[in-house]
Amino acid sequence: MIYIGIILGCVIGAIIGSMAPVIPYTYSSYLSIAIVAALDTVFGGIASVIKKNFDLKIFLSGFFGNSILSIALTYLGEKLNVDIYLAAIVVFVGRMFMNLGIIRRYYIDKWVTMIEKRKNKKVKEEVKE
Amino acid sequence: MDKKNKIKISILLGIMCFFLTAGIAIQINTVKKSTITVGKTLAENELRDSVFRWKQKYENAYKTLEANEKELDSLREEIANTDQSHSSLTTQLEQYNLLLGNYELRGKGVEITLKDGDSSILKGYASDFIVHDADLYEVVNALKNAGAEAISINDQRIVTNTAITCVGNTVLINNEKVGAPFVIKAIGLPAKLYGSLTIPYGYLKLLEDDGVDVKITQVEKETIVIPKYNGIYKFNFATIHE
Repeated sequence: MIYIGIILGCVIGAIIGSMAPVIPYTYSSYLSIAIVAALDTVFGGIASVIKKNFDLKIFLSGFFGNSILSIALTYLGEKLNVDIYLAAIVVFVGRMFMNLGIIRRYYIDKWVTMIEKRKNKKVKEEVKE
Repeated sequence: MDKKNKIKISILLGIMCFFLTAGIAIQINTVKKSTITVGKTLAENELRDSVFRWKQKYENAYKTLEANEKELDSLREEIANTDQSHSSLTTQLEQYNLLLGNYELRGKGVEITLKDGDSSILKGYASDFIVHDADLYEVVNALKNAGAEAISINDQRIVTNTAITCVGNTVLINNEKVGAPFVIKAIGLPAKLYGSLTIPYGYLKLLEDDGVDVKITQVEKETIVIPKYNGIYKFNFATIHE
């Protein structure tokens, strides 16, 4: 059910996004920072599922709130002539790597334990024979 | 209760994914269409944006111009077909348009490639083995002298009011930026063009001696295509004096 929702959303989004008109180049920097923020939230969500403290409310508010906040900060930075979006990118991408590390560790652990179980089974069978 | 919750979550996640992928797709499209590398400051981005918008406007205007020209041509043909007296007029018109560079032309001639010399190998004054604007108009002049009927540099047609000027590390031809390597195409008698350009102490020879990478080939088949002039002729100050 959840996977169907995700895949459907992705497909519809890709189709509508590729058919949508091109936005002005000035706004593309805002959109890019919003995308980075959203991606960060997605990876954070996956990591929190692994850590078993996933909360949909926090996840959703992070997804939209972070995007809008980062856009607002970028706008403020433009007005103040400070490249704040660089700081936002550093934070988001840094966190993305951290979360990716958690995800990677979890799956490697799972994989290793699976291999060990198989080995143990084989050893037991040999002992029985 | 649990099922209801699951449906809610999947719908919410679907909406989220929709926003994310739509945003990514729009961004990819924008970056692809603008063909500009990432700007350093937002002010620069704004300038790039306006350039991009003007380019689009120019393209649209050019498209309508081309469509209108086609319509005009078909109308002229129609008139020529219906009325015999007009047919001489149409040939005359064609002649004038040919002179103005309003047709894409095809024929035999020569193709010259001028490339900056390799500064890591060559020694000496660096300006010597770079192709300058002056080199271009010397070559164009030599080609005209040898009876070239149509000349283009990097697909910019050389017409009566073409100016070749130096703007930093590129050259402006017909107000369009053109950079090295320069491919100069000319339609005419190939042997004559080739001969007059490669005479000892001719300009191309001098350029080659300076270290510029010069390549010249005669094209005997009618494969050289020279594009038409993209600009417009305007007379703001001159009137016909009887």
